[in-house]
Amino acid sequence: MSEGTCSQCGQTFSVRSLFDLNGTTYCEPCVQKASREAKERGLLFSYMPLINKSICARCNTYIGSSANAVQIGNLRFCAACGPLIKDWDYPQWLKMSLAALLLLLVVALAHGRKYFHAGREMYIGERLAAKGRYSEALPHLQETLRIAPGSDKAVLLAAKAALLSGDVASAAKALQGHNGGYFEDASKPEFREVDSLWKRASGALEKAEQADKLEQQDGKEIEAARLMHEAATMYPELPALAFAAESFEEGVAFVRKDYDAFLAIAQKQWKEHAIAQTAAGLASALACKFAITGDSTYRQQSEEMLEKARQLAQGSAESMKVLDEFAERNRYRLESRQIISKAEYDRRFRSGKTASK
Amino acid sequence: MFFIPGPVIAALTFPGVIIHEAGHLFFCRLFKLQVFDVCFFRFGNPAGYVIHQQTEDFKAQFFVSMGPFFANTLLCVLFCTAAFLPVWELKVFDPLAYFFYWLGLSIGMHAFPSTTDLSHLWADAPRLAKKGNLLAIVSLPLAAVLVVLNYARVIWADLGYGIAVGVLGPIAIFRALAR
Repeated sequence: MSEGTCSQCGQTFSVRSLFDLNGTTYCEPCVQKASREAKERGLLFSYMPLINKSICARCNTYIGSSANAVQIGNLRFCAACGPLIKDWDYPQWLKMSLAALLLLLVVALAHGRKYFHAGREMYIGERLAAKGRYSEALPHLQETLRIAPGSDKAVLLAAKAALLSGDVASAAKALQGHNGGYFEDASKPEFREVDSLWKRASGALEKAEQADKLEQQDGKEIEAARLMHEAATMYPELPALAFAAESFEEGVAFVRKDYDAFLAIAQKQWKEHAIAQTAAGLASALACKFAITGDSTYRQQSEEMLEKARQLAQGSAESMKVLDEFAERNRYRLESRQIISKAEYDRRFRSGKTASK
Repeated sequence: MFFIPGPVIAALTFPGVIIHEAGHLFFCRLFKLQVFDVCFFRFGNPAGYVIHQQTEDFKAQFFVSMGPFFANTLLCVLFCTAAFLPVWELKVFDPLAYFFYWLGLSIGMHAFPSTTDLSHLWADAPRLAKKGNLLAIVSLPLAAVLVVLNYARVIWADLGYGIAVGVLGPIAIFRALAR
């Protein structure tokens, strides 16, 4: 056991029983007296067991009064620990790890760039959809789907935006791109909403298809128009259905021989949508009016509209084919001033050919 | 609530422990406090520690105690932001994104200062707050919440915090950017 001497009374004690006050060693009774005196003189008066100053405060190695010991504040450290305490450096592996972490962060952000773009587009689309601006939202959501076609949220939002802006094809594409239209959670409100919209839209399209088939049959024009109106009411987001329903009304007016109504509808349709189909419809209505009235102005206008229809159909072989078929019947109507249906014309002049519009 | 031994959690989320202790060490060095011992990671309780000199400087005390909380939270938000969209919103199977998300959550989970760190702040903050020390005024409610959350670690408050930061942080960032 190490021993030491009290600087005041000169007696020898075990190191464990000695104290340090301002660098001087005392025994317990003497240190209390010295501390009181130091306090009265305004000096530092706190003392500590000498043993605390004899061992390294970090590793507990005995340092006694070694000259190599390092004093930091009230604590003493051995020669090995002293410099470490004074400047605790970062270990090399930590420096390298932190550098690697920063590099990983850069890689993570660079890697996430395409997802940031997709996410941003999705949030913009979501916000526009929430404001009811579905057709504006759709391109943003489609951009998201280009990167993440399996995202439930983006797919359902895109399908909703597409259906509510009358774009059933885009909705179908978005839904099919998601596991072939399969969703794990069919109870989600977002899914149920899209499901309901999809059923409404596809129901309307089925009706429209039925109406289209009926319209090609003689005597079914009224039923066809009714069905098309139902489809248009069922799915008002698709204006083409309402347009088609109105167009079917031309057929109804034709059957009823109400050529003024036929002409009025045809003129309205042409005004709203100047396409080959409406031009041909107007040419047909004008030809009917000529057939009834004999007014050559109608004939001239009918021929002009047919020419416009031809110009508008340029580039579309399918439209040109339909137009050529119609032009033949329209010429017959203008020359004979007889108004007959297509089926009747086919029966009379195209026997052996399939009657089709 | 299921029990998973602390060392297992620490092992699974070791980057967070190392970064937390590195944060303590960084602020000790910044405020020139003597460091007596450092353990960046071990299979024990605590999983890491920095033993440093006590100080009367509240600013130093605040940053040494709370520095790792802010650093870990920030890194958690950044890593989770990079990986949030493919993992949560876009549902893209991207292993790299899942790795970054694990890294972010691991770091966020070890953001909380220990109760020992907080006890020093808690002891001095009220007195200094009365004197108008802004840092002390800020640290009072923060420390109070963190003390409660620290005790709630038994019910996975640390993991909950990591997830909250790793989910809500990126959502807030993306919503703001999409404006």
